Amino acid sequence: MADKALGILDEDEELSLLETLDHVLDRGLVIAGEVTIAVADIDLIYLGLNLLLGSVESVNRTLGTRERRMELLSAGARRGGETRVAVETDEGAGDSAAEG
Amino acid sequence: MKFYVYCLSDELSGESVEGPTGVGGAAVRLVSVGGADSVVAVLSEFAGERVPLTRENLLAHNRVNAHVLARATPLPFRFGTLADAARLSAYVAANETALAEGFALVRGCVEMGVKVRLDEGAKAGVETSAVNVEAVSDEAAGVGRGTAFLLAKRREILGGEALKARAEEAAARVAACVGGVARESDVRLSPEGPIVVRASHLVAREDVADYRARARDLGAGLAGMHVLASGPWPPYSFSTFSPV
Repeated sequence: MADKALGILDEDEELSLLETLDHVLDRGLVIAGEVTIAVADIDLIYLGLNLLLGSVESVNRTLGTRERRMELLSAGARRGGETRVAVETDEGAGDSAAEG
Repeated sequence: MKFYVYCLSDELSGESVEGPTGVGGAAVRLVSVGGADSVVAVLSEFAGERVPLTRENLLAHNRVNAHVLARATPLPFRFGTLADAARLSAYVAANETALAEGFALVRGCVEMGVKVRLDEGAKAGVETSAVNVEAVSDEAAGVGRGTAFLLAKRREILGGEALKARAEEAAARVAACVGGVARESDVRLSPEGPIVVRASHLVAREDVADYRARARDLGAGLAGMHVLASGPWPPYSFSTFSPV
């Protein structure tokens, strides 16, 4: 992330990664369609027209509760036969919830 | 052929983006994708259908966008965006007006951010100070399970309201302190979370130093809270609109 020309803060690498994660995962332009991100060769996140991706707090904010989220994920998996998973990053602690 | 797409710009026409490597170590280049303002996409070739969510790829995504930011302010894409040339051109054509507004909004600016974290000790203090704990305990003594449950719920609600009030107070301080140099603001509150305020600000490049100074003052003025300022970032938080 550090860019000396702009004077970007060259802080601790972990902090930079977490900040980067926080910025690029659920913000920015989105092309209507599909974006699929894989973690460890497993389809973990499926982004379609109904975006479902973000930090723990983003997901909670969007869907309200874990139960509601898992219910939607299950319904999505049944509909599309896709593995849909919300990757959770509680301030970088790589927590994930999977639904097969 | 699919491309990994980093950002769009209406200021880089005719230039090159030599320097950083992209996702997967691929070379980064500019491709004209049309539009009235000669919009170009910054992209790299990508083999595969899915983008691995790895440290290297995350940093590569932002590295390329930060490199572009050193020359002009782009509209960055979300991590993991793949598209072929035809899809990209169709996207630009269909969203021409929104993109033009986006370019105008971010031109000459960068994104700066402030996060406010409530100390755990302070959080516990906020939760309990909203309730007379001894009174609740006395009330709960010798009552039935239903009453005890309702008393616990009342304590939970009052504590939650206190946390919310604390987060709103912090957000107001953020707005008063650094909001003044922001062209646009995106503020998210999470009273229950460790980070109670996430504020992103669109700041003119010449005001970045002022923003940082104000952020330092903010940190000094919030008891029981830690303030983390970061940036400049490409304007990720201000590149969001509903695409056609």
